[in-house]
Amino acid sequence: MSWETVIGLEIHVQLSTKSKLFSGGSTEFGAKSNTHVDLIDMGLPGVLPVANREAFYKAIRFGLATGANINQTSSFDRKNYFYPDLPKGYQITQMTQPIVEKGSIKITVDDYEKEINITRAHLEEDAGKSIHDMFEGETGVDLNRAGTPLLEIVSEPEISSAKEAVAYFKAIRQLVTFLDICDGNMAQGSMRCDVNVSIKKSGDKELGTRAELKNINSFKFIEKAINFEIDRQIRLIENGECVVQETRLYDSEKNETRSMRSKEEANDYRYFPCPDLLPVIISDKELKEIKENLPELPEEKEIKYINEIGLDESEAKIISSSKTMANMFEAASSKTNDAKLVAKWLVGDISALLNKDNIDIDESNLSAENFGILIERISDGTISGKIAKSVLEEVWETASNVDEIIQSKGLVQIQDESILKDIAKKVVESNPDQVSAYKAGKDKLFGFFVGQIMKETQGKANPKAVNEILKDLLK
Amino acid sequence: MDKKTVTTISYLSRLKIDDEKEEKIINDLGNIIEFVDQLNDVDTSEIDPLANPLEKTAKTRKDIVTAKNLKKKLLEVAPSANEDYFLVPRVVE
Amino acid sequence: MTIKYKSIKEIKNMISHKEISNKEVIQEVFSLINQFQDLNAFITLNEENSIKKAEELDNNPSDLPLAGIPIAQKDLFCTEGLRTTCGSNILNNFIPPYSATVIENLENAGCISVGKTNMDEFAMGSSNETSFFGNVINPWGKDLVPGGSSGGAASAVAAGLVPAATGTDTGGSIRQPASLCGITGIKPTYGRVSRWGMIAFASSLDQAGPMARTAEDCAFMLNEMCSHDEKDTTSLDNDIPDFEENLNSSLKGKKIGIVSDLDLSSLNNDVVEIYQNSLKEFESMGAELVDISLPHLSLSVPTYYVVAPAECSSNLSRFDGVKFGMRSEDVKDLEELYIKTRSEGFGNEVKRRILIGSYVLSAGYYDAYYKKAQQVRRLIKNDFDNAFKKIDVIMTPTTRGPAFKIGSKGDDPIQMYLEDLFTISANLAGLPAMSLPNGNIENKPIGLQIIGNFLDESTILNFAHMFQNETNWHMYTPEGIKQ
Repeated sequence: MSWETVIGLEIHVQLSTKSKLFSGGSTEFGAKSNTHVDLIDMGLPGVLPVANREAFYKAIRFGLATGANINQTSSFDRKNYFYPDLPKGYQITQMTQPIVEKGSIKITVDDYEKEINITRAHLEEDAGKSIHDMFEGETGVDLNRAGTPLLEIVSEPEISSAKEAVAYFKAIRQLVTFLDICDGNMAQGSMRCDVNVSIKKSGDKELGTRAELKNINSFKFIEKAINFEIDRQIRLIENGECVVQETRLYDSEKNETRSMRSKEEANDYRYFPCPDLLPVIISDKELKEIKENLPELPEEKEIKYINEIGLDESEAKIISSSKTMANMFEAASSKTNDAKLVAKWLVGDISALLNKDNIDIDESNLSAENFGILIERISDGTISGKIAKSVLEEVWETASNVDEIIQSKGLVQIQDESILKDIAKKVVESNPDQVSAYKAGKDKLFGFFVGQIMKETQGKANPKAVNEILKDLLK
Repeated sequence: MDKKTVTTISYLSRLKIDDEKEEKIINDLGNIIEFVDQLNDVDTSEIDPLANPLEKTAKTRKDIVTAKNLKKKLLEVAPSANEDYFLVPRVVE
Repeated sequence: MTIKYKSIKEIKNMISHKEISNKEVIQEVFSLINQFQDLNAFITLNEENSIKKAEELDNNPSDLPLAGIPIAQKDLFCTEGLRTTCGSNILNNFIPPYSATVIENLENAGCISVGKTNMDEFAMGSSNETSFFGNVINPWGKDLVPGGSSGGAASAVAAGLVPAATGTDTGGSIRQPASLCGITGIKPTYGRVSRWGMIAFASSLDQAGPMARTAEDCAFMLNEMCSHDEKDTTSLDNDIPDFEENLNSSLKGKKIGIVSDLDLSSLNNDVVEIYQNSLKEFESMGAELVDISLPHLSLSVPTYYVVAPAECSSNLSRFDGVKFGMRSEDVKDLEELYIKTRSEGFGNEVKRRILIGSYVLSAGYYDAYYKKAQQVRRLIKNDFDNAFKKIDVIMTPTTRGPAFKIGSKGDDPIQMYLEDLFTISANLAGLPAMSLPNGNIENKPIGLQIIGNFLDESTILNFAHMFQNETNWHMYTPEGIKQ
């Protein structure tokens, strides 16, 4: 029997506003527990929410970039349930009139492309954090995160494999970071996802019963959790059992999903319009302004890099696929006349260093300014490519200024022909055997002479000039 | 309104109903629901719901951090807290 | 010199003419409160701070509008550093870290908050019998309820303990106790007074307002209570008029709407007679009576008893024993913490309304009840909009009768809910409405309700003030309380 998998994703994206969705509390990550909690975030008796307009603007950017409908009138509802890190006993969310509806996004998997439809993207407030393993017999509650704006992006159940799910998640992550609406930081929980998985017999129209996998926050785990769940469901059905509609938790250590049925017990969220918040209306003027100021997206950048700057397709693709990379490329290029050289270094040596350290370029010690200087010094002949590599490594470690490294280490390339000629003569004179062997036809020895000169000059000799001088001397 | 419904809604509300009061509560709730059932005599098929008497747009705020660090004050109000966290009995996930 | 039964203006004059010091005013208030503590009008007193503030005012006289005026605050407004219980066990020991906008506005105007008044638990009740802190006595008879939910406030003003008090009104909680205690109170237009710091019962209905002996004092208080508050997005941006300005405008040619759909036959005969006498009084001042129809008025009580419980069931979820308020002892796990705390923390009426609210919002019933009630709510509002095209105010009795005996409504919720028959519609439509004394039945006061058009508090205050210029029902004081 062959099975088809049907997957839908609900991705929670933390919007990168400075303050919370309904209060002036800070959204900064990593602060000491309970220091970013406003009266409103705490849900004290008598407090009232006031919506942060910027959160709407950020949500609208996402809507526009996915070709979605923007509901210029949108409203808030309450979702009622009890949990210690949900201070009010309800979450304010958008049930009936979400800000964004009916968009789509293109994903690329191995050798094919696919369009995934987005049902809706709505604003809601995040909960706080419960810490279960810190205190004996007790759970600690930190409300710093409570009230942070989330955009919940709900896909249609059109994803057919774990790989597609990962590609979809990656595409959303790329988009929200380019739109500058989320930092995309998975480790800090800026993006989290719930996955609905069901299976059906190939060709069947009707969907199978789905299980919801909660709160998965890395690409690797999305793939593993889905694959585990697909296997589990197939095993169940092939053994004549049924899939139960339930919420399951993925345990990354054991690589398994397990039922969280206790949490689901007869839950009825009793959604109703939040009586504290009137509908928010976004004017035509605001919408137009957001549209006009929409940041350039990866595809647009890629085309621009190829057509206007003349990069290779592969270079353009690599650079445009990451927001931080594209930013670095554009910033460094603006500081030199040689954008192609910038691209070459980014895709080559710099990418290698990033991979080695497993970091993002904006987390490295290399600033666009310094990178620009490095490229300038290569193209104006101050240093050779080889020296540039060592300078880059030094910058990578210490963040020192490129010019200062070149100065203090005396790395300026020797261009002066008379100096180079003197050195070359010395090398030739002190290696008579090699000279005669070369002259007898052992051409490969040319490299030996170049190497000796580089050794004498600690690599600072201009290789082009050395070649010409040597050719002349060994004639 | 029956026992099962009352059990469900009291659980949703996290309220316990004492056995000796149960009958009266089922009865009272039933009467109230019967009383509000007269709303169903009105034809409202063409009527938009009214959630708030102010039929206006919400005022919103600018994205500015205005809150101070209230940690000490807020933890003081809590029935159980240590220096850093609100505390509840251990939750098993 | 005494301040008992003096108006705000009279007390101000006495202070500024040095007939009495600020400290003497406050000392007298606390000695009166002490003398009449059987009324159980207060839950928490603020004596030490009040005396201190009065002494400061004696040292540095102030010309703020309410400088030195003792005000009783309903225990539903958060007061920073001063216990705020909302009449509930669950907030028995809650000391808020912030103050309501209303409290700040009044205190910025110089008033002295002498204490927090008793009330029905979470403002759910019409007799003040649901308070965790015991029922309040109506000064007009020791076996009579003061009405509710602002019963402590009404009782304190009626007994002359303070010249004015704050109240809140979700379905009649200012007007009904004002009527039953023989004082004057106004619920402004929804959105006039900020709800920031008012512990929510039903957010789309709650509105704070003043309770005092006269319409003039209410206007005076309202001037200070209203503000544009960024912290409450339902706070109105509209200009706030000087509510005293129109108090003396002539009523000549003004039109009073009389609701033809109202069946007065079910009412106490005396109530009807008193009501009709008042209408004649207004006619004699030049106002005209105009029949109007509010065809959906009779549905206001059932509509209210869907909308208010729904909102309250959600609003009261935050009282869960986790972050503030009371937590039950000896709980073995989180579920038990929730259930035990809430079951011990809330009284019967609050529980009943939470259950009703959960029911009407639950899957499968939302459309039949909640959505339906919201639709009928619009019909009720439309009725008022139409009526106000041709009239200035609407008048009805405030209550079906005078104060009833404590315990007399038994434990029948619907009988109690029907107490608010005349008052609830103004909350559903968001309109301003007030109650003022207009007669006595067997030595028990009763009130007249005046409902105004959206934002038109000035006109109803004008009608009320003119009536109080011509009559002296508002001057009656209960026996046994007189000096």
